[in-house]
Amino acid sequence: MMPTVVEVQELTKRYGSFTAVDRVSFEVGRGEIFGYLGANGAGKSTTIKMLCGLAAPTSGRASVAGADIAREPERVKRSIGYMSQRFSLYLDLTVEENLRFFAGAYGLGGARRDRRVQAALELAGLTDRRGTLTSALPGGVRQRLALGSALLHEPPIVFLDEPTAGVDPEARRGFWRVIRDLASQGTTVFVTTHHLDEAEHCGRVGLMVDGKLVALDTPGGLKATHVPGALYAVELADSRKMRHELANWPGVVEVEPFGPRLHVRVQGELEDDGRLEHELKHHGHNDAVVSRVEPTLEDVFLALVGTGRQSKGAA
Amino acid sequence: MMPRPLVRIAAMANKEMRHILRDPQMLAFALVMPVGLLLLFGVAVSFDIEHIPMVVVDQDHSQSSRKLADSFTVSNTFNVVAHRGDPDDAEPLFRSGAARVALVIPRGYEASVLHGPEAVAQLLIDGADNTSASVALGYANAVALSSSQRAFVELLGDATPPLEARPRTFFNPELRSAVFLVPGLMVMVLVMVAVMLTALTVAREYERGSMEQLFATPVGRLEIILGKLGPYFAIGQVQVLMVLTLGVWVFDVPMRGSVALVFLVASVFLFAMLMQGLFISVVTRNQMLAGQIAAVSTFLPALLLSGFIFPVESMPWVLQVIARILPARYLVRALRAVMLRGADFETVLPDIGAMFLFFVFLLVVATKRFKRTVA
Repeated sequence: MMPTVVEVQELTKRYGSFTAVDRVSFEVGRGEIFGYLGANGAGKSTTIKMLCGLAAPTSGRASVAGADIAREPERVKRSIGYMSQRFSLYLDLTVEENLRFFAGAYGLGGARRDRRVQAALELAGLTDRRGTLTSALPGGVRQRLALGSALLHEPPIVFLDEPTAGVDPEARRGFWRVIRDLASQGTTVFVTTHHLDEAEHCGRVGLMVDGKLVALDTPGGLKATHVPGALYAVELADSRKMRHELANWPGVVEVEPFGPRLHVRVQGELEDDGRLEHELKHHGHNDAVVSRVEPTLEDVFLALVGTGRQSKGAA
Repeated sequence: MMPRPLVRIAAMANKEMRHILRDPQMLAFALVMPVGLLLLFGVAVSFDIEHIPMVVVDQDHSQSSRKLADSFTVSNTFNVVAHRGDPDDAEPLFRSGAARVALVIPRGYEASVLHGPEAVAQLLIDGADNTSASVALGYANAVALSSSQRAFVELLGDATPPLEARPRTFFNPELRSAVFLVPGLMVMVLVMVAVMLTALTVAREYERGSMEQLFATPVGRLEIILGKLGPYFAIGQVQVLMVLTLGVWVFDVPMRGSVALVFLVASVFLFAMLMQGLFISVVTRNQMLAGQIAAVSTFLPALLLSGFIFPVESMPWVLQVIARILPARYLVRALRAVMLRGADFETVLPDIGAMFLFFVFLLVVATKRFKRTVA
């Protein structure tokens, strides 16, 4: 087991009668990429702010790199890098001025500052644009600069709050490559996102719904637990009518329209290769085209949010 | 290797300086405004009454009547703008504002001067402008008095008057208002720029979200405040230098005390004002509001309660109490003492102490109010 870097127990944040984060508990190990997933307002940013010492928890406790967030926020701040949701470098400063400022803010001086600024420039791919005003950089490049800036003091853990919001897919891929490199060198990465596809890169994923941590596992584990069985995409001429018919078949767990097709999740005998197609043809749907699809975290999310609503309705 | 807190303060100060240098509007505001204010107050606002337009109605046309008229015009106080034969013709000039004063010398003036019983000339004064009216009145009395004296002397031969007042005004013998205004003007220049610029700076960090990023670094509250004070203090020093240079060379304001002492006094005042701006910024977290509070809390008090124009001693006690708290009053008093009277460090120490107390008080309160949390 990896040594624990972040330890959270029953962490709660209330604003008046509104509970933003509700008794959340988890642990993050060294070098792990920990994804924190959820819709806007689910409590992701509030959790990060508490872990960074930017907001005081209402109750519960947490420690980051061995320092208690409520009692020793200053020690926490020395060992973390933080990239806030709002782009927060200074637009009227150049790339290098921003980096030199933040290096100084972390207390780096002399040769170490020069070396770290150079490393951040390389990470952001901006070695030949150090004199460019930050406002002139495209969004994706700015985000990498912000990441480089958060890593200047070589913190053992970085908190990235929606680092890829508003960034194009190509730049997002590059960004995640950097994150994976970081983790492989032993840096712990705590990252929030609402891009479910990005969460696939994470070692483990925690899912926040209305301030509660409703699931926490590896992406594969989440799928196995919450989207059991096999998932097939079915193309049919009369998919709308078939949706209801299929739902009543034994062994069919769930039918969801997915574009012009249907996503059919099955368990038991129907999981076997070719079995579903065979059954459909047997029922006279000769035009049916069936292909196996891998469940995504989106399916997990839908399954979880769906049960959440159901249980609420039942209660 | 520098200790870490110093590294962090230096980084803050350096960054702040770059923000200022990148913002030409702010730089212009900081450096052009002092010159503009100084010229405005130094040249346009003057309490020296000169060139009061005067119309002369000489009905006597004698040597004595011309002598009387000349005695008004020898100084720059009055300017003869017209001659009329009839007092009624002078009135339109009064109404239009072309003349503020009319000297009417009736027929038979010379005869009365020479043979008695008493010579009468009339001075009509436009009372709508009370400053020039009182100056004209005082001047007329003085002319009458000295003319009578001269007449006595001529009558009695070589005699000296029994009593003569010979007042001597120290430090500003010509009572020029620039001498009096320029040290006071320092307060206007420093408050506006120091408080206004710093009031915006912390609020701006909150508004653009960079404060959150700063709070996630080990930079402390006091380090943020001190780092931000630095560059604005430097700008303030440049302003002091500009006001002094212009004052001494252009307006002939004397510099009887030590220049270093003037800078010391101004520096302590600057710290107090920069702190007031930061305090406003920390509390409001909003540039618009901070700007408004900064303007209201500096401009009027500096103009009205500092003794810059109106003496604090003649104010109602409530205003005197407020003035006693404000550093503006101590700066004006200390600067006048050092520049005009050549006062030494001990003389202005109470003023320096009062301003320093104001600074320390706000530093403590602002640091306390400055929460390093965003939620």
